[in-house]
Amino acid sequence: MAIDNQFLLILISGLFTALAASLLGAFIVVKRMALVGDVLSHVALPGIGLALMLSIDPVYGAATFLLVAAFGTWLIEKKTALPPEAIIGTFFTATLALGVILVPNEELFESLFGNLFAIKKFDAVIIIMASSMIFSLTMLLSRRLTLSIAAPDLAKSIGFRPDFSYLAFLLLFALSIALGIKLIGSVLMGALTILPAVSARNFAWSLKSFLIFSVIFGLIMTFTGILISTAFNFPPGPAIILTGIIFFIISLFFKN
Amino acid sequence: MTDNQKNILEVRDLSVSFGNQEILKDISFSVNESDFLAIIGPNGAGKTVLFRALMDFIPYDGNVKWRTNVKIGYVPQKLMEKAELPLTVKEFFLLKSKNLFFKDKQILNSVVHELKSVDIDANILDRQLINLSRGELQRVLISWAILGHPQVLLFDEPTAGIDIAGEESVYNMLHKLQDERGMTIIMISHDLNVVYRYANNVLCLNKERLCYGEPERALTNEQIKRLYGENAFYHHLH
Repeated sequence: MAIDNQFLLILISGLFTALAASLLGAFIVVKRMALVGDVLSHVALPGIGLALMLSIDPVYGAATFLLVAAFGTWLIEKKTALPPEAIIGTFFTATLALGVILVPNEELFESLFGNLFAIKKFDAVIIIMASSMIFSLTMLLSRRLTLSIAAPDLAKSIGFRPDFSYLAFLLLFALSIALGIKLIGSVLMGALTILPAVSARNFAWSLKSFLIFSVIFGLIMTFTGILISTAFNFPPGPAIILTGIIFFIISLFFKN
Repeated sequence: MTDNQKNILEVRDLSVSFGNQEILKDISFSVNESDFLAIIGPNGAGKTVLFRALMDFIPYDGNVKWRTNVKIGYVPQKLMEKAELPLTVKEFFLLKSKNLFFKDKQILNSVVHELKSVDIDANILDRQLINLSRGELQRVLISWAILGHPQVLLFDEPTAGIDIAGEESVYNMLHKLQDERGMTIIMISHDLNVVYRYANNVLCLNKERLCYGEPERALTNEQIKRLYGENAFYHHLH
């Protein structure tokens, strides 16, 4: 019975993490920030290291570093002519170096690749609440964000502020990565964000269908991945990502 | 109405610089309600920059004073092609409403109405934005801008790519909108014929204001030569 409860806890936490990540991922992909997202996820490392040193939950350390990096990226991009990938690349190398120094070896592996089985009830509650919040805020933001991506000047002409939509988006994205760290780890969190969206894009004929497919794919690949990992005793992160890759390959045949 | 009440836009000594480069210098003009102001000038004269300053998208020196609470519609030259964004025409319109993902009959009816006023059939709504021809896209952009009935339309005319017949009817359409809705139109134009035919005011721009006033008086052959160089004459004559 204890195992069943743990399995449910893992499943629910996984599905909620995927819910927020796959919706955000749709915008990451159309904003051509897929690699940016991947790299941003590694910024979490030194935060994890510091949190471990101070004996607090690594998620909070990760979240702090991610939010600061997201805000820093936004600010530097606004003030200079540097593209976001160059700025995040700089943050990334700095933080990776710091991370390797700060995070103890055995914990490093866990932060990079996650450990669903360490999830406790309290973690699950935090994940459910935070993911629901991220999902709702992203939905609320989607109108402004889409128009800001499609035509920034038109967005401004009806009173939207594209730079603030972008900041809000980056912060939500940073939070969603922090949530995924325990679950599937910082390396694969980027993939959980992008994979549902790239598969969905191949099926989509409209923005609405794109977002819906992306979320559905995110949920199915997480569900299947966790089932496989439990059945065969694989680590869940890689199982989720490999399932996603299979989805992507199938989606290539449907490209419209 | 006094002149002051009719005034909808007053621009005084507007200057814009990007770094050390001066793009616009001391531009002044005013626009009254129901005016059709054409802005002309060679490539790189700062016409689009002027629009962006008028809409407060970029920092500038000088004064730009719109009538309080004026609603502005903006038609850009083109949209950046973003093939990765699978936006339908309907969704593009709905980005202007609060109900992006839920049925909103009222706004859809207004969209169909605006599409009709630019001679476009409502079945365009289900197509993807990226698959429209340039002519269709321009009309969609115009109806997007006039959705919600702005008092002023800022229209940045594309430099090329729209066939002559299509172009002719776009001007007629704008003219009709102006007549029917009393809309004020400020338009960047590349065609002097349009200026003579539709505009009641013209502003010639090449970093500085070179001429300003009624087209017949302001746009002398001398002015056109100064603005575009010698070989621009056929524009005027044909």
